[in-house]
Amino acid sequence: MSPDAVSALWLSLKVSMAATALVALIGIPIAYVLARRRFWGHAVLDTLVTLPLILPPTVTGYYLIVLLGRRGILGAPLYDATGFTVAFTWYAAAIAATVMALPLLVRTAAAAIASVDRELEKAAFTLGRSEWRTAIEVTLPLARNGILAGLVLAFARALGEFGATLMLAGNIPGKTQTVPLSIYTAVQTGETNEAVVLVGLLTVLSCAVVVTAGRLGARAQ
Amino acid sequence: MSHGLEVRLVKRLPGFTLDVEWTAGEGVAALFGPSGAGKTLTLQCVAGLLKPDAGRIVVDGRVLFDAETGVDLPPQRRQVGYVFQSYALFPHLSVADNIGFGLRDRPRAEARARTAEVIARMGLEGFADRRPHELSGGQRQRVALGRALAPDPALLLLDEPLSALDATLRQSLRDDLRQVLAEWRTAAVLVTHDFTEAYRLGDRIVVYEAGRVIQSAPRAELLWQPASERVAGIVGIRNVLRGTVLKATPERIQFKWRGQVLEAVNSPTRSYLPAPESPLAFFIRPEYVRLIRKDRGSPDSGHHMNLMEGRVVGEADFGTTWTLYVRLDAPGPPAQDGYDLEIEVPRLVYEILDIGSDRHWQLSLHRGSIHVLPSSPLSAQ
Repeated sequence: MSPDAVSALWLSLKVSMAATALVALIGIPIAYVLARRRFWGHAVLDTLVTLPLILPPTVTGYYLIVLLGRRGILGAPLYDATGFTVAFTWYAAAIAATVMALPLLVRTAAAAIASVDRELEKAAFTLGRSEWRTAIEVTLPLARNGILAGLVLAFARALGEFGATLMLAGNIPGKTQTVPLSIYTAVQTGETNEAVVLVGLLTVLSCAVVVTAGRLGARAQ
Repeated sequence: MSHGLEVRLVKRLPGFTLDVEWTAGEGVAALFGPSGAGKTLTLQCVAGLLKPDAGRIVVDGRVLFDAETGVDLPPQRRQVGYVFQSYALFPHLSVADNIGFGLRDRPRAEARARTAEVIARMGLEGFADRRPHELSGGQRQRVALGRALAPDPALLLLDEPLSALDATLRQSLRDDLRQVLAEWRTAAVLVTHDFTEAYRLGDRIVVYEAGRVIQSAPRAELLWQPASERVAGIVGIRNVLRGTVLKATPERIQFKWRGQVLEAVNSPTRSYLPAPESPLAFFIRPEYVRLIRKDRGSPDSGHHMNLMEGRVVGEADFGTTWTLYVRLDAPGPPAQDGYDLEIEVPRLVYEILDIGSDRHWQLSLHRGSIHVLPSSPLSAQ
């Protein structure tokens, strides 16, 4: 493998792991709230989180530029204050992957949380536990396999992310060029051997993910 | 501080309104009635898992809920133990962790000692590290009881605690449960749709029907003095009949039924004095009807009251007893479905009197065995 391919692989792993961590941090509370609470804006939150699954990734990427680009809604004040911009850094790749992978976790985890018997939570309430402690000690542990399956799927989605990443992070070798972008570039420039190695690598990884998620999902039943 | 439980609540749901009021002292109160009568809803309101629209709930002088003053303690602060119908044991925790779950705010050593004590008292030694799915139905029930009792609640609520079990296990666990409740001496409210269960476990029985309480009484009183025909029907009393009043005094009631003049003991405490010619509901326990032996001469009218004659038109063998269906020698249609009275006799009596071939009998009823049911708005319809 060329040095560019090796760095693409490391970058992809770094981005995917960061994205998975962010997905867990943001997604599990959202999944819990969607599964267990009825509130004004429930449908809006549900739609917003699910949208990246449906929208063309370039459209999601465009919205991310509008939001986080140097002249973006959040990006401009950030740039004015610190001189730093997210766009075209590996952070951008991680953020794009997070947004794209979030729906997979939220959907899977919310279904797992919703299937936890509510009487168990009520039992915890009568035994003195707050809702927060009940979620930590009862609901989430019992939904664990569903949540893990969702995280595995999210990791896989982050690993394969292309469109939104290209929009927000660009395709800078050694900096923001992840494996999927690297494959695209290799094919474009006629480096077929390099492309084949990376394609094989991603295929094997994806198969492993499908099997793992399937097993976790089966145990969650 | 007064002991006991005071429940008054109104909860409106789509197509169903719960509107009940009852009190209970120490011991076990059994909420009894058909499914869908609002019994479980009541428990959830007492536990704070459901908010009533109106009412007041007081346990041992502590106000848990009062719609007027706005008191509404969350379930975490009610000190009410709840044993769910499905037991709701935490499947990911061991028996010890389940039982210790409610002891979290105590110092660790104390919580551990209390958990060990409860495990021992529930006879679960050796099972502390098992998970709920590795236990039998009876052991699960004891874990659920232990978990609810461990924090020493002021009140224990049990929702159909035996319905998850099969018939044979049910009976032995009913006795287990009775023993645990007696030993722990925690005030308890139990929900059941099985009258035998309510009677075996409850000191007081509160009869529910369609979101209302139709009687609340000590269990013996309920069985011998049901407040109405509805209650008599719901607790499974047989031979609930209707006659016409001839004369009523605080001590006796004379009435006509199927061409016979019968006399029953009135209950002076109830001061029930229906006017002559008004309809009267009463019931006769099948095991209290006497058959008069034909080999002992003619009946003595001083000893044998309420004499009647009739023919056995049907019978059923229940092993240790026989049930006979008797139609009286009186014109007109019989009072029940093809017969007038259901009579229960021990097997020995059935054999000695040769009832299998001798079908015509003289019957007598002590006046104390005819129970008058005061009319109520419910039975008057």
